[in-house]
Amino acid sequence: MLRQAAHDGWDLPSSRDEAWRWSDLSALPGIASQRPAGTLPDALPWLECANDGPRLLFVDGALVAGRSRLDGIAIGPVEAEAAGHPLGRLVPGDGWTLRLGRGHAPAAPVQIVHFGTGGANHLAARVALEEDAQASVVETYVGEGWSNRLTDIALAKGARLMLARRTGSAGFVSLTDRASVGEGASLVVANLAAGTADTRLDGLIRLAGEGAYAEAGGALLARGRQRHDVNLVVRHERPGGTSRQVWRSVADDRATCSVAARVEVAPGAQKTDGEQSLKGLLLSRAATINAKPELEIFADDVKCAHGATVGELDRNALFYMASRGISEAEGKALLTRAFVADAIDRIGEEDVRRAFGAHAEQWLGRAHG
Amino acid sequence: MSDADQIQGRNREAQEAVDRASAYEWGFTSDIEQDFAPKGLSEDTVRYISAKKNEPQWMLDWRLKAYRAWLGMEEVSWAKLDIPAIDFQDAYYYAEPRQKPELKSLDELDPEIRRTYEKLGIPIEEQKVLAGVEGARKVAVDAVFDSVSVATTFREELKKAGVIFLSISEAVREHPELVRKYLGSVVPQRDNFFACLNSAVFSDGTFVYIPEGVRCPMELSTYFRINAANTGQFERTLIVADKGSYVSYLEGCTAPMRDENQLHAAVVELVALDDAEIKYSTVQNWYPGDAEGKGGIYNFVTKRGACRGARSKISWTQVETGSAITWKYPSCILQGEESVGEFYSVALTNNRQQADTGTKMIHIGRNSRSTIVSKGISAGRSNNTYRGLVRVLANAEGVRNFTQCDSLLLGDQCGAHTVPYIEVRNPSAQIEHEATTSKISDDQLFYAMSRGLNREDSVALIVNGFAREVLQQLPMEFAVEAQKLLGISLEGSVG
Repeated sequence: MLRQAAHDGWDLPSSRDEAWRWSDLSALPGIASQRPAGTLPDALPWLECANDGPRLLFVDGALVAGRSRLDGIAIGPVEAEAAGHPLGRLVPGDGWTLRLGRGHAPAAPVQIVHFGTGGANHLAARVALEEDAQASVVETYVGEGWSNRLTDIALAKGARLMLARRTGSAGFVSLTDRASVGEGASLVVANLAAGTADTRLDGLIRLAGEGAYAEAGGALLARGRQRHDVNLVVRHERPGGTSRQVWRSVADDRATCSVAARVEVAPGAQKTDGEQSLKGLLLSRAATINAKPELEIFADDVKCAHGATVGELDRNALFYMASRGISEAEGKALLTRAFVADAIDRIGEEDVRRAFGAHAEQWLGRAHG
Repeated sequence: MSDADQIQGRNREAQEAVDRASAYEWGFTSDIEQDFAPKGLSEDTVRYISAKKNEPQWMLDWRLKAYRAWLGMEEVSWAKLDIPAIDFQDAYYYAEPRQKPELKSLDELDPEIRRTYEKLGIPIEEQKVLAGVEGARKVAVDAVFDSVSVATTFREELKKAGVIFLSISEAVREHPELVRKYLGSVVPQRDNFFACLNSAVFSDGTFVYIPEGVRCPMELSTYFRINAANTGQFERTLIVADKGSYVSYLEGCTAPMRDENQLHAAVVELVALDDAEIKYSTVQNWYPGDAEGKGGIYNFVTKRGACRGARSKISWTQVETGSAITWKYPSCILQGEESVGEFYSVALTNNRQQADTGTKMIHIGRNSRSTIVSKGISAGRSNNTYRGLVRVLANAEGVRNFTQCDSLLLGDQCGAHTVPYIEVRNPSAQIEHEATTSKISDDQLFYAMSRGLNREDSVALIVNGFAREVLQQLPMEFAVEAQKLLGISLEGSVG
């Protein structure tokens, strides 16, 4: 199922395009022209979970059936489309589909490992939950090359989905999400971008039913010349919806973290409650943080607020810790950890939260030696 | 007149203003013979304007260069605005009153123009000074009637202080060295489509130079007004504050009612050298179009200040209630160490008005600071956007910024949007941004009405409270006018 997109005539956006003003996609054609090595890894970053659920291993976008356990997940054509999106549209319609019937709630999360060995690979996915169904999906990106994904999410009335993703690979990971959240349904998307890959996350989450809930956020950790780039829209289409966007960016060395997050409130979507919190932490002189917390509101009875801050670690807090005998390096590590924890601690599932916390910890350990 | 009388008088005025009909009060047209440039825009138009103003060759060359650059530029499309196509060939680029007086005082003005000013409500303070009231606060007015400055008062007193306060065409002739040095140095010709157009065809405007160490003895003020049908107004303002000087500049605008949409593309450039401070206040109340969105001014303004010197300060305050379309981002380039930029804004849109306004704070100098307070009020079927940028460059140590953007929605047919950009390349920066969106709560209304106010007054009161932080930045005369305007502009929007 390895897909090789036609690389000519891609027409990749440039920083002149508003939604891509902080992006740098110039490396993509180069990565795509590499030949994948195709070798299978021995150890894979499966999560330790109390219950074992489905496991999917994709190497360069192709399912390795021998090391996967499908448990009802369908592999084949996927109903997902992002015609207007410059990266999403490169994804042909094949991939995996998770469909749960009314009231189904498997105890174990679906685990997916995407392993890249070079070159470009594209994969589509769809999660469709019927009324009151519940699922958790955990995706991990490792290896190298360019992994390009398109994910379509449809949650019916009362359904709940937790989608957690972490990138620990090299190369480039681009994720394009299209989600529709029905009446009283809940979608939580948590991201952890560590590793050395550049990442681009594009999300459009529509709160299409009354009283829907959506949460999208995460921690972006960047060093070297790495770039993490988020472009997210949460659209309240019906009354009574609630959304939360909590992003924590840490940029070291010459790295750049950018978050453009928008809350849209459509006419008539009264009683909307939307909140954004975008915070950036600069650990080095040459690092860059960009933030664009945007509100677009067409209803009057709403509660929408956002806060954004950018800066370095609080000198007063560092001084306080130093006066308590904590070394500077330790103090910095503690404060940075607390900063990142704001985003990670929101992950509700304990197994996942622990694994993501440990992953972030590993990155931070390197930052502060 | 005692203080109590004064306050009573002000209250009465405010009450009268509120009582007036919701139709655009200042929609009148004065009939004065006008000299027009031929309709349309070409190199000949540019030459015509330049010749009319007896400009030196370098000025004409500068205009022509801008015109040629403009031909290759495109209109801006990124703002959240629905801008109808503008036919730039279907407008007059120059109109001036036939009588071109060199006046010593307003008394000598063409009575027709004089009456126009009266209808405009040139401030009481100004009238007091004219009547010889002692101790009255002084405001110097450079009134722009369509395109040519017809009266400049207080010139003598300013001269004594060494302050140059001239129309820009006079300044081109009398102080070419200063104009050449600073014109286009903050807003380059090719900066954007409308600034470029302005550079080619600017008709008149104001030039201010405050010499080193001088605190300008009075507030300087210009009243802009668009009068003749179909003449775009292209004002050019240039204010230079030399080392250690201070100036406060007021700009107020009204325009008569017209059916065709009128284009206004002004450029304002401010330069503050070491320790200098410029305070620039605007009340903009151009015709917004009728309730159905017919007519109204298109206001595309490029305003930018350069804090070139150490410890220099530029403060923009604006109250925007008029215009069908507002596209305006008064900005500060904070080059000097410890320089300060401020932006205080109230933008009110009603009916079918559209406003996309905000600021840019570019931090280049060490320890530079900026404050942004933006209050957007949307009513009717209008759209109101705050668009701002805070950028901290890599070498700018110790930068601080605080931004607050609040939106108030009146009714469920309007839109309020916030588009802030934050770009930080220096870790010592401390950047904070907050935004909220709210409506007038029933509790607030109930409270105000239980105290005997009617619904409309209650709303005006609450809106004024919402905008308070900005209004209190305005000089006294303007603050009163601005409060009235907020009330008037909201008339008919409260159910």
